[in-house]
Amino acid sequence: MASKSWQIKRREVLKGAGIALGLPSLEAMTIKRAGASLSPKNPPKRMMIGYIAYGTYMPDGQSGVRSKTHPIDQHPEWSWWPCSQPGELTFNKSSEPFKDLKNYVSYLRGLDHKGGWKMGGHSSGDVFATGADMTETEKTNNISIDQVAANLHGHETRYRSLVLGTEGGTGSYGSSKTLSHRGPGRPIPSMHKPQEIFNRLFDPYSGKGIEQVRATLKREASILDLLLEHSKSFHRKLGRQDQEKMDEYLESVRSIEKRVERTSQWTHEPLPVMDTKGLNLDVAYKEPKEYIRCMYDLIYLAFVTDSTRYATLMLESEQSSTSEMWNYATYVLGYKGATHDIAHKRPEDYSGQWDRWRAEQHAYFLRRLRDTSEGDGNMLDHTVVLWGSAHPHASHSTRNYPIHLAGGNRLGFKHGRLHEFIGDKKVPLANLFVSMLNAIDVPVAQFADSTGSMSELMKG
Amino acid sequence: MTTKYSVRLAQTLLIYCVLASFTGANEFVRNATFEDTFANDNIDEARVQTFLETYCVKCHGSDQQKGNISLNTIGRDTTFKQEIEVWESVLEILESGEMPPSSEVQPKSSERQIVISWIETQLRKSSHSAKVVHRKSVTRRLTNIEYQNTLRDLFGFELEIIDKLPKDPTKPYQFNNTPELMLIGPEQIDRYLEIARQVLASAIVDPQEPVVHKTRREWLRHGLDRGLALDEIGVYGNRRHSVSQGFSLKSFPKTGDFRIRVRASAILPPGHQMVPLRLIMGNDIQINSSTRETREVGVVQLANTPDSPRTIEFTGRIENFPPLPGKMVNEKQQPARMTITPQNIFDDGSLNDRYSYGNLRNIDLPRIVIEWMEFESPITDKWPPDHHTSILFESPLQSDDLNAYVNQVIKRFMTRAYRRPVDPEEVEIFFQIYEQVKSEFSTLEGAMRETLAMVLISPQFLYHTETERAPDDHYAIASRLSYFLWASMPDEELLDLAEKQQLNDPAVIEKQVLRLLGDERAESFIRNFTMQWLNLEKMKTVPINRDRFPRFLYYVSAGERAGTEMPYLPTVRDYLLEETVAFVGELIRRNASVLNIVDSDFAMLNQRLASHYGTKKIQGTHFRAVPLSPEDNLGGLLTHGSVLIGNGTGTAAHPIYRAVWLREAILGDEVPEPPAEVPALSDSAGESADRAFTIAELLAQHRNVESCNDCHFRLDPWGIPFEQYNAIGQFRPMVPSEGIRVSVFDKSKHEDMAGYQNYLDSINVNSLSSEATLPNQATVSGVRGLKKHLLSNYADSIVRNITRRLLSYGMGEPLDHHDWVTLESIMEQTEAGGHRLRDIIIAICKSDSFTANSN
Repeated sequence: MASKSWQIKRREVLKGAGIALGLPSLEAMTIKRAGASLSPKNPPKRMMIGYIAYGTYMPDGQSGVRSKTHPIDQHPEWSWWPCSQPGELTFNKSSEPFKDLKNYVSYLRGLDHKGGWKMGGHSSGDVFATGADMTETEKTNNISIDQVAANLHGHETRYRSLVLGTEGGTGSYGSSKTLSHRGPGRPIPSMHKPQEIFNRLFDPYSGKGIEQVRATLKREASILDLLLEHSKSFHRKLGRQDQEKMDEYLESVRSIEKRVERTSQWTHEPLPVMDTKGLNLDVAYKEPKEYIRCMYDLIYLAFVTDSTRYATLMLESEQSSTSEMWNYATYVLGYKGATHDIAHKRPEDYSGQWDRWRAEQHAYFLRRLRDTSEGDGNMLDHTVVLWGSAHPHASHSTRNYPIHLAGGNRLGFKHGRLHEFIGDKKVPLANLFVSMLNAIDVPVAQFADSTGSMSELMKG
Repeated sequence: MTTKYSVRLAQTLLIYCVLASFTGANEFVRNATFEDTFANDNIDEARVQTFLETYCVKCHGSDQQKGNISLNTIGRDTTFKQEIEVWESVLEILESGEMPPSSEVQPKSSERQIVISWIETQLRKSSHSAKVVHRKSVTRRLTNIEYQNTLRDLFGFELEIIDKLPKDPTKPYQFNNTPELMLIGPEQIDRYLEIARQVLASAIVDPQEPVVHKTRREWLRHGLDRGLALDEIGVYGNRRHSVSQGFSLKSFPKTGDFRIRVRASAILPPGHQMVPLRLIMGNDIQINSSTRETREVGVVQLANTPDSPRTIEFTGRIENFPPLPGKMVNEKQQPARMTITPQNIFDDGSLNDRYSYGNLRNIDLPRIVIEWMEFESPITDKWPPDHHTSILFESPLQSDDLNAYVNQVIKRFMTRAYRRPVDPEEVEIFFQIYEQVKSEFSTLEGAMRETLAMVLISPQFLYHTETERAPDDHYAIASRLSYFLWASMPDEELLDLAEKQQLNDPAVIEKQVLRLLGDERAESFIRNFTMQWLNLEKMKTVPINRDRFPRFLYYVSAGERAGTEMPYLPTVRDYLLEETVAFVGELIRRNASVLNIVDSDFAMLNQRLASHYGTKKIQGTHFRAVPLSPEDNLGGLLTHGSVLIGNGTGTAAHPIYRAVWLREAILGDEVPEPPAEVPALSDSAGESADRAFTIAELLAQHRNVESCNDCHFRLDPWGIPFEQYNAIGQFRPMVPSEGIRVSVFDKSKHEDMAGYQNYLDSINVNSLSSEATLPNQATVSGVRGLKKHLLSNYADSIVRNITRRLLSYGMGEPLDHHDWVTLESIMEQTEAGGHRLRDIIIAICKSDSFTANSN
């Protein structure tokens, strides 16, 4: 198939960007953009959400907002907050990785989800991307914002969304291992193995020919239809509660059926050509930096090929005692103890270094987006990225999250400041969600407990 | 609905205790009419009300609702239903004697007894009346383990596919085989379909006989006394090109059974009776990479000498072993590679302390001699194999009337996959599917693979369901039995009994339970149940402080990965987990009393563990029951390394984790997570060994923060007796004097572990305080004292807890008050025999709760 001129251009640009930056894991990678109906004048609008666990180090205010007794002119160099006062950002040791991204990042103090307030001291991460009121009215959680966007625009890309985590699966209520939920009782299992993620993104037909794939998909659609009929008659034989349970199944098969149709359309579009040289897909927990960057790289690749526009990444969870993530800080910092202990003990050295390490990885991702030009600007201009935790310094607290927003500069966001939403200025975190959704062309007026949108962050 | 009644109980207790510290006993005005009221035989609600008003409502009334419990309005619901959980809490708290708190005026035991029996009567009544009410939903998907086992038993060979499925959710101390946790989404369906196609590609073979891949290699016979030779595998650093490097397969098929034959013997220095040989297959292993994938093929203990070599046969499925993908060389794809590596996994616990052997040499330790190994796959002793002919069976129909044959094939397969007979209409759907797919596949095999794959994504296969069939659906009972005791589908015998409608006969059920438990498939139940019940999984990820325990795990000594844990070998940590699973299995096998979980006169050990715990020496890696003497300080589950490590910090014991474990897993309480806004304490050991908090410091911290104290002063005492056991689960009751800084292992100072132990012994001169005053005011000292106290005061709670957990696991749902009568009745039935485990399982399977249908 003949490449269109913009494809060639794009490919060169990408290659150029990679080499110019000397990015270790991707320098040898070449990417060809899929033939999505995009023009460089009209870049896709994307959203990414990342979650870190156990809160962050804030000696200047354990409750997540600045303590009144903390001297105003002494901002701790290892505080997660880059500076002490609302206003233009200055950077300390912990936030230094974002220094060159100053005009692309904002820090937001005092935001949280009311729905998480009454959840256990280890559980509010469940609602980070949903804002659901899990202790009262939405006990099985509720739809996350990436899925709200995917419901509206997901059909425009090969995959409606990408749901990643470091531990995989859905987890259970109160100890979620995913940020994404289709709706109440419908968590989406996160994928955590780089090779599997890569294959599902870029080799979904396992090397089979397009004609064969198309024939299979066509057949599958009609078979699933039959199966659905079969299941419905079975469904009717069940008691009411069992029927509700079985609805999960019917919905799932229906969604697979729909996906078959979708995929079938997408088989007309060539898959992006990927060369995995330089991408270490076997990497695992014991090499945390490589692993986390690989996960970020996969999201970057999914975005740059326009395979999807919405991604979530549960970088850590509060309930990881049965996974290698429990020892993450040990592998990273040589900390002798479980990663969770850092949040309990808050030793300044380790706690600060741990935050900085996490910031470095996130900044790596943001830089990749920033350094890839797109349209009149770069990819970060067209991608809004939320990053944070559902706990402040006091790790059992479920209020005043550390919140970091990046990108979307050409979607209406303006950056470079620390904002404070405390006292009578306190607003729900969901207000930010409304602004994020609106910026990526999802016209919602309200989400979860939102009371409006967040004009402070938007260009006037 | 929550099953655990004791959440509130726990809260109630706390509150009482807290309040007690503020109110003096003399403020309490005794109700003069109280005793008179209770002297009457005719007990009614009013008297219970009086009891509550007298002893309870001060803290749990309209003024204060400590622990969110308020008893001033209880009893107004004459049907008892709304308040059932509260009553259950009250019952349990009264029985345990923990309430009212000791600082308050106590009711007479006769008063207490009267209220207890009134509540029991009411609970029983309510439970009986609830029986007529519909049972809860039981529909849930198979857990990943059940799914894999079901495929194994459906097809007759095992594919390890769990890693291809989204991980199942888990909750600490809870079983995940419940409708609440077993959700399904498109991601599952998607993977199920992939796996179904994969497993059918393996199950149904192509008609022509396949190419058999064979590889054989011999190693030169060397002799005994000339040092480590090429045909030998020693414990330490082996020679290049020797058999220890394994041998790579020239070629291997993508699917099929394989057979590996090994001609092996052992060179055993004096004092050694055996050496374990382990075979792994997959990538070739390199110490400088910890990510090379291999899987175990099998382990045997070799006791035969080189003059009488044995031929050992290992078998398995080739699909389960990970090949190393071939590289691209000059744009040509090289074939994937696979290596079989034999390992000498002799381990007496001192191997990683080379110095203890002085100038240690391989030839001082057991060696393995391998003359030859051969690999063959697929196995064509019988072709097509059984797993093919059990689906595409031999029949003249195949040539006479293909459609009738296909119909038969589908019906037979569905009957087994659905674990019950199928209707013609159900078969018809899949026949239609066959009609649709056949044009695309040139062979019957191809078309059947695709058709039957669709059976495997239908809800009747993927779910535990009960439709409104006959009121006593024997097929449902067959499945319930097999998924309980095998975590898999029923076999032919169970399905036969279902067909003959015999599965409501208690004698038949008893016989079947014994048969199922005697089958090796029961291992899956024991492992699954034990791991979740005891919340053991986390012990694998506790970071062991290497400074403090320098020789607990093996570490790579040189190269880029120096200092990292040695990959590819079974570790003491693996063995410690196996110990616990084996112990529970042994209790069931022996039909021993449940109370053995508190204390037993045997432990399940192997050589490595005997050395870890310091018991009498044994040899080999296999587990067996070893009789214990009191000075071993072992017995029961409380001293299992898996439990103690999992509930420690890797540096120090953690009395709170251990207390939570004891109360959750053994006593059956539910200990709530720290609520939001409770400050996190620096309660765990952290960056260095000598900065670990002492228990005194820790408890002081808890006392000083009121929000902590509310919960912790009832919790912490339970963990104190465990302080005698260190972070890796060894009995170490002596500690250094206050202020002494324990130095970590230092080769130059201590030379070897024995030297380090001498040093530790020289500073550990004080008995550690392991005395605790429990919430019921009893004082216990050490785990031995704790065990004694548990057996004499908590036996009933412990038996109830285990029975309840088995019942809940067996039914695949949390229990509620509907099951209260069942629970009591099982406990009564098994009491005479001393609450033996197998008897309990039998009683569960015979119970109404278990055999009754949802309709």
